[in-house]
Amino acid sequence: MPANAAKTARAARERDPISDVRLITRELAEVAEYIAHVKREIGALRANELYRERIPSAHDELGSIVKATASATHTIMAAAEEILCSQEDTFETYRAQVEARVMTIFEACSFQDITGQRITRVVDALGQLEKRLSRFAAAVNARDSETGPVDPEDALRQARKDILLLHGPQDEAAAIAQDDIDALFG
Amino acid sequence: MALDLSMPILVVDDYQTMVRIIRNLLKQLGFEDVDDASDGTAALSKLKQKKYGLVISDWNMEPMTGYELLRHVRADEGLRTTPFIMVTAESKTENVIAAKKAGVNNYIVKPFNAATLKTKIEAVCGA
Repeated sequence: MPANAAKTARAARERDPISDVRLITRELAEVAEYIAHVKREIGALRANELYRERIPSAHDELGSIVKATASATHTIMAAAEEILCSQEDTFETYRAQVEARVMTIFEACSFQDITGQRITRVVDALGQLEKRLSRFAAAVNARDSETGPVDPEDALRQARKDILLLHGPQDEAAAIAQDDIDALFG
Repeated sequence: MALDLSMPILVVDDYQTMVRIIRNLLKQLGFEDVDDASDGTAALSKLKQKKYGLVISDWNMEPMTGYELLRHVRADEGLRTTPFIMVTAESKTENVIAAKKAGVNNYIVKPFNAATLKTKIEAVCGA
């Protein structure tokens, strides 16, 4: 607004207190509308459903996956160890033992079908979470705070990770190859 | 110089499956005297009770990591010459460099195979 126009408008408002009231009323209506909009978006997040159902369910699924993979690994390794330590005297009995253990290994591998289905459900839950959060962030024009509250436990965990270089497995592109490591050790 | 198959080896890993894999690989290579520990603290205690010819350690463990164990071992007068191989999923260059600076003898990234483990043991233990 040009300086003169602003001055004129201000002067007019100074002369007319009703226009001030109208302006404040309009601004309050805009604030109320924005609050209603944010409330709608918070409702659309369905946060209760996420933290009461989807996230605990994903947590349980992941726990079951860990258990199933550990159990299958144990079964497979036990079968392999029995083959390695076989004390059978004849070829026929040795072959029978190996065949029986190989069948055990095949059976144990069926865990992959079940864990695959569980992983699909976890991926779906994460997809829902991502979709709703990104919609919410866009709708309220959210900006990440750099000075917001920090979970002390998370901060401690992060500090330990940084100090002790606990990065975990890397993507293939970011990971150093064994040949490059060997070169470093001459 | 041939590998001394009678030398005691300490495997340090918090995943029992990985301990079992390394134990089986070592057994296939002919090593019989293999002990294990589930983290750096337990390993340090075992290292003070028995003279080991080699330590094979994971990096990421609680409460004491393999990296901390390595630094303790290298700072201890009685243990500082013990050969130490890191076997880990930590595959960032900075980890390898930090471990080398701390005095690790070799570094293997998971997943690995028996041949790699054998080559590194031979390189470290002077076969």
